[in-house]
Amino acid sequence: MKVSLSWLREYIPVDLDPKDLSDRLTMAGLEVDGVESLYDYLDNVVVAQVVQARQHPNADKLTCCTVDIGKGELFPIVCGAPNVREGMYVACALPGAVLPGDFKIKKSKLRGEPSHGMLCSAAELMLAHDASGIMDLDGEFVTGTPLESALKLTDAVLEIDLTPNRPDCLSLIGVAREIGALTEPRNKVTLPDVTFPEAKMDSRDIHDFVSVRIEDPQLCPRYTAGMLFDVKVGPSPVWLKQRLEAVGLSCVNNVVDITNFVMMETGQPLHAFDYDNIAKSKIIVRTAGKPGDAPLEFTTLDSKVHKLDPEMLMICDGEKPVGIAGVMGGENSEITDATTRVLVESAYFNPVSIRRTAKRTGIASDASHRFERGVDPEGTLFALNRAVSLMAQFCSATIARGIIDENPVKTPPVTIDLSPKALNVRLGTSFSADEIAQILGSVEFGIDKKAAQKDDGLLQVHVPSFRVDVARPEDLSEEVARLWGYNKIETSYPLITAKGRTLASRPVLRGKIRQAMTGFGFCEAINYNFIRKDACARMAIEDPDKRTRMVEILNPISDQMAVLRTSIVPGLLEAMARNTAKQVDTLQLFEIGKVFFDTAPGKQPEEVEVVGGLITGYRWDQTWYSKKEAVDFFDLKGVVQGLLSYFQISGVLYERTETGTCPYFEPGYGARIVKDGLVLGTLGKIASGVGAAFGLKQDAYLFDLDMDSLEKALPQAIQAVGLPKFPSISRDMTFIVPKRVEVGVMIDTISAFAQKQGLIEDYFLFDVFEGSNIGEDKKSLSFRVVYRSASKTLTENNIKKIHEQLSQKIINDFQADLPG
Amino acid sequence: MQNNLQDIEKQALEKISTADSKDALESISVQFLGRKGVLTAFLRNIPSLPVDERPAAGKNGNLLKLKLEEAVRQARSELEAGAAGGAEGIDITLPGRMVKKGALHPITQVMDEISGIFLRLGFDIAEGPEVETDYYNFEALNIPKYHPARDMQDTFYVSENIVLRTHTSGSQPRVMEKNEPPVRIISPGKVFRCDSDLTHTPMFHQVEGLMVDRNISFGDLKGVLTTFVQQFFDKDTLLRFRPSFFPFTEPSAEVDIRCAMCKGKGCRVCSNTGWIEILGSGMVHPAVFENVGYDTQKYTGFAFGMGMERVAMLKYGIDDIRKYFENDVRFLGQF
Repeated sequence: MKVSLSWLREYIPVDLDPKDLSDRLTMAGLEVDGVESLYDYLDNVVVAQVVQARQHPNADKLTCCTVDIGKGELFPIVCGAPNVREGMYVACALPGAVLPGDFKIKKSKLRGEPSHGMLCSAAELMLAHDASGIMDLDGEFVTGTPLESALKLTDAVLEIDLTPNRPDCLSLIGVAREIGALTEPRNKVTLPDVTFPEAKMDSRDIHDFVSVRIEDPQLCPRYTAGMLFDVKVGPSPVWLKQRLEAVGLSCVNNVVDITNFVMMETGQPLHAFDYDNIAKSKIIVRTAGKPGDAPLEFTTLDSKVHKLDPEMLMICDGEKPVGIAGVMGGENSEITDATTRVLVESAYFNPVSIRRTAKRTGIASDASHRFERGVDPEGTLFALNRAVSLMAQFCSATIARGIIDENPVKTPPVTIDLSPKALNVRLGTSFSADEIAQILGSVEFGIDKKAAQKDDGLLQVHVPSFRVDVARPEDLSEEVARLWGYNKIETSYPLITAKGRTLASRPVLRGKIRQAMTGFGFCEAINYNFIRKDACARMAIEDPDKRTRMVEILNPISDQMAVLRTSIVPGLLEAMARNTAKQVDTLQLFEIGKVFFDTAPGKQPEEVEVVGGLITGYRWDQTWYSKKEAVDFFDLKGVVQGLLSYFQISGVLYERTETGTCPYFEPGYGARIVKDGLVLGTLGKIASGVGAAFGLKQDAYLFDLDMDSLEKALPQAIQAVGLPKFPSISRDMTFIVPKRVEVGVMIDTISAFAQKQGLIEDYFLFDVFEGSNIGEDKKSLSFRVVYRSASKTLTENNIKKIHEQLSQKIINDFQADLPG
Repeated sequence: MQNNLQDIEKQALEKISTADSKDALESISVQFLGRKGVLTAFLRNIPSLPVDERPAAGKNGNLLKLKLEEAVRQARSELEAGAAGGAEGIDITLPGRMVKKGALHPITQVMDEISGIFLRLGFDIAEGPEVETDYYNFEALNIPKYHPARDMQDTFYVSENIVLRTHTSGSQPRVMEKNEPPVRIISPGKVFRCDSDLTHTPMFHQVEGLMVDRNISFGDLKGVLTTFVQQFFDKDTLLRFRPSFFPFTEPSAEVDIRCAMCKGKGCRVCSNTGWIEILGSGMVHPAVFENVGYDTQKYTGFAFGMGMERVAMLKYGIDDIRKYFENDVRFLGQF
C-alpha cells in the first residue's frame, strides 16, 4: 500500500519528516518498507528568468533566449514555445537534468545557435497536461531556486507493508487515522464533504431507471448504487492523475479514475457500469449458476476469458452477468468514451466468497484484495456518495435523485467488555481504566465505563465498524500495546516450577549419532525431502517395493522436487555427484532425516527416520607414509561396525541381501544388518548402472539404518564387567578352504564352540591369502584364538586339547585342509 | 703437575667450544681423550709420580676426563641440533597421519545451540510430523480455510487436507491437547514453503516455542526472548519488539536485533534500517486455547518462531541460502 504525504494531508496534519513518520508507523504495526521522494526527477530543474528573447536567425518558430539561471549566470537557450517572452519566470532544465521518459538535457546547438538547457512545459515535467507552451510561473522568484522547492512540490510516498489483519489501512483515510493517533497533539481525521450540490441534481430518480435484487444475501449483505446522467467521459484532471500515479495506479478515464480514487481514499472498492449496457434496467446479485452447472465463460474488462464455477457470486443484469462480484467487472458493461449514463456500485461482499473466487480465477485485483480482507460494512454509502459527487464535479454529470441501498443482512456493531485487569495481566502492565480508554479512543474506539467505581470495572468498548480485525478483549490488548509502544512495556521473567522432566529420547540419539559420525570423519549433509518422480527407476527399484509408494506433491516447485523421498539413497548420491563434479573425489557424508511412504488417499504418510552414510574415493591420499588407496566395502562396513559398537550394540549379523531387495547395490556386494532378527539397515556398493544414472564416475558405498530399529537395539543398561586377573595365551590356526566358504559362517562355528567351551575369550581373523600355490579355488584363512581362565594362569597343557578340537571341528565342517 | 692438568683443561675446553664440525670435534676428542691422547697420557703417567701426589692426580685427572667427555657430548649434540634444525632422530616437521575431520551441518549446529539455550530455560523438545494435516498446520492455529493469512505461507499440498508443514507450530496444539499447563516446549525441524529464489529455499528449518501457564505476560515474552537473543548472539545485543500480525497470536510482535555489521547505522545487510528481523512472536491467541480446550480465563502464554537458515547466515556470514542444501563438503567442512 502506497500513500503520499500530500494526499494524507487532506485528512490529517502531517508535520513530521517522512523518516520519523515511517518509524512511528513501523513501530505501531504498519511497517514502512520504503520512502520515495516523488519529485526526485526535478533535480537540475530551476526557476529562471528570460532576460532577452529574439527571433532565431534560421528558424521561424524558434526563439533564442538569454536566460538568467541564478547567481548572475546567463545561459543561451533556444525555445520553440509560442508563449515565451522577456521577463517571464520559467522552469529551466539545466544540462544534467533527466526528465520523464529518460530525456537527458545537454548543451547543444539548434540550427546553429547554442542552447544550454531547456525551458519546459508543465506536461514535460509531468506537473500538468498543458503542453501548449512553457510554464509561465506566476509570482516573484529568486532565479536558480530548484523548481521543487519554488513550487513547494515536495512530496514523499511511503510504501507500507500491511499485514492482512489491517484492511482499514488499505486506504488513505485509514492510514491518516493511525497517523492522528501517533502524533502529538493527537488529531482526528477530517472526512471529505460528500453532500451533493443542489445545482448538480437531476430531476430524474434512480429508482425509475434501475432495480437491484440480491438473491444471495449471505454473500452480498449490502448493495448500494447511485446514478449519473450526461456524463462526459474523458481524461481526469491533473490533480487526480497525480494522486493516482503517486500511489502506483494507472489512469484510465475520469469515471474509472474516480472509482479508484475513492477506493484508495476510503478503502471501499467501487464499480462503474455503463448504464446503457445494463439489460432490462435490472441488477441481480446471484451466483453464476446452480451447484453442478457447467462452468460459465465470462470476459472481464481486461479482455481475459475466465471459466467461472457455479458458486461464484456475479453481478448480473436482466439477461447476463456483467461483473464478477468484488473481483472484476465485465467487458460487456465497461465505461467507454461513448458512455453517458453511469451506474456506480458500492457493495459489501462476503470476504470468504470473494477470496475463493479470486483464488479460483487467479484474479488478484485491488478490489478483491480489499473485499477478502474485509471492508468497512458501514462504509458503502459514504464511498458511493463521495464517488457520485466527484463524478458530478469532474465528469460534468448530473446526479439522479435517490440512491439504492439494499441491505438484507445487517452487520451488527461489535461491543467488547474489556477487563483492565486481564489486559494488564496479559501485557505485564499497570494501565488504569482511564489510560486504556484514552489510548483506544485515539483510534476511534468508543468507550462506556460500565462499572467505573470498582477497580476491576469492565470497560465497554464499541469497536468502530472499519476495524473488522477486532472482536475480542485480546485484540484490544494489542491495540493498547502497539499504540503505547511495545518497547515501553517492561521486560519481566516468568516463574517456572522446578519439576522433573524427561528429555525426549530421539533428539538425544540423533545427537549421539552425529557425534560418532563426525568423530569418524564424516560431514553432515542435509538434502531436500523432495526428489524426482523417477527416483525409484533411477535406483532400479520396482513395484511392489515399498519405496515405490511415493507421496506426490500437488503443486511441486519443479520436476526435480516432485515427490517425497522414500529413501535416503538418491539424495546422498546426488550430493556425491555435485561434489565430484567439483573435483572433490573423496567423500564421507552422512545424513539423518525422514523418508515418507504413502498410506491411503487423504491420509498422512508414514514417516520413518533414517540415518544414511556414503563413502567414496580414497582411504588415504598419496602421502609420504602410504600410497593412494581406494575405499572398498570393508571401509563402509567398518564404519557401520564402529557406529554400532559406539552404541554398545553387539551380536549384529551381516547377511547377504536377497535378490531384488536392494537392487541399487552391485549383485554380491550388498548386506542386511540384522540384530536378533530385526533388520537395522543395509549396506553395500552402489551398482554401476545406478551410479551411471546419477552421473557418478567412481564407486560409491552406502549404508542406511532405521532409527526406530536402532533405538530398539540399544542396550537397556550397561553393566560393568571385572577386568581379568590372569594372563591370556593366544594360539593361531590356518586353514585352506574352498573360496565359496564365508568367513562369517566359520566365525559363527568358532563362536558356538567358544560358548560351549568357556576358556575362549576372543577369536578373530587375521589373514586372508589367495594364490595359485594353494589352488585357484581355495583361500587360506588364519585365525587367532585367545584363551583365558578367570581362576588361573593357563598353560600349554590346559589348552592344547581344546585348540585341537576346535581345529578339527573346522576341518570337518568346512572341508578345510591344513597348510603345507 | 697441577699446572699441567690446568693447561690441559684450558686448552681442551677452548678447542671443544670452537669446534665447528663433528669431525673437528672428533679429532679434538681423540687428541685429549683418545688412546694416545694428552689426558690419557697424563693418567697413564700417574704410577710414575711420587706416591703422595698420586691420589690427587688420579682424582683430578679422572674428574677432568668426565668433564671433557661431557663437554664433547654437549658440543656434539649442539652441532647435530644445528645441522638438523633442532631434530633429534626424526624430522618432526613431517606431516602427521592425520585423522579425518568430520563436521556437523551449520543448521544442526545453530539448531543445537538454540535448543540448548531453551532447554536450560526449562523447555522440552516436542517434534511432530513433517507432513501435517490442514487442521494442525492451520485451523487449530486460528487460520481457517480461505483466510488471507494463508497467503503469508505458500503451502505445498499433498491432498486437499494434507500439507507439508509450513511451520513447526503444528506440534503446539498436539502437545496442548494431551497436556494441561504448564507447557514449555520448543519444536525444531524442517518446514516447507512453495518458494524458491535467492533468499528462499522450498525447505528450511525452524525452531518454534511455546510457554503456557498462569499469568504469563507480554513482558515475560520480552524477557525470555531477550535472554535468548543475548545468549545466542552477544550479551549486549540490542533488540526491539515491533507490532505485527500472526493469526495465532494477539498481540503479535516481530523481534529485530541491532545490525551487527553496521551497529545500527544502516547497511546492505539490514537494508539500511539498522535492524534485522529474526523472530516472530506473540501472546497465544485465545482461539488457539479454545481449540485445545484450555481455559482462556486461567491461562495465558506466548509463542515464538525463527528460521535457522537466517540465523546461521547472520552467525557465520553465509551469503547464499542455497548453499545449505548443496552439501558441498568444501562448504560443510568450514563449520
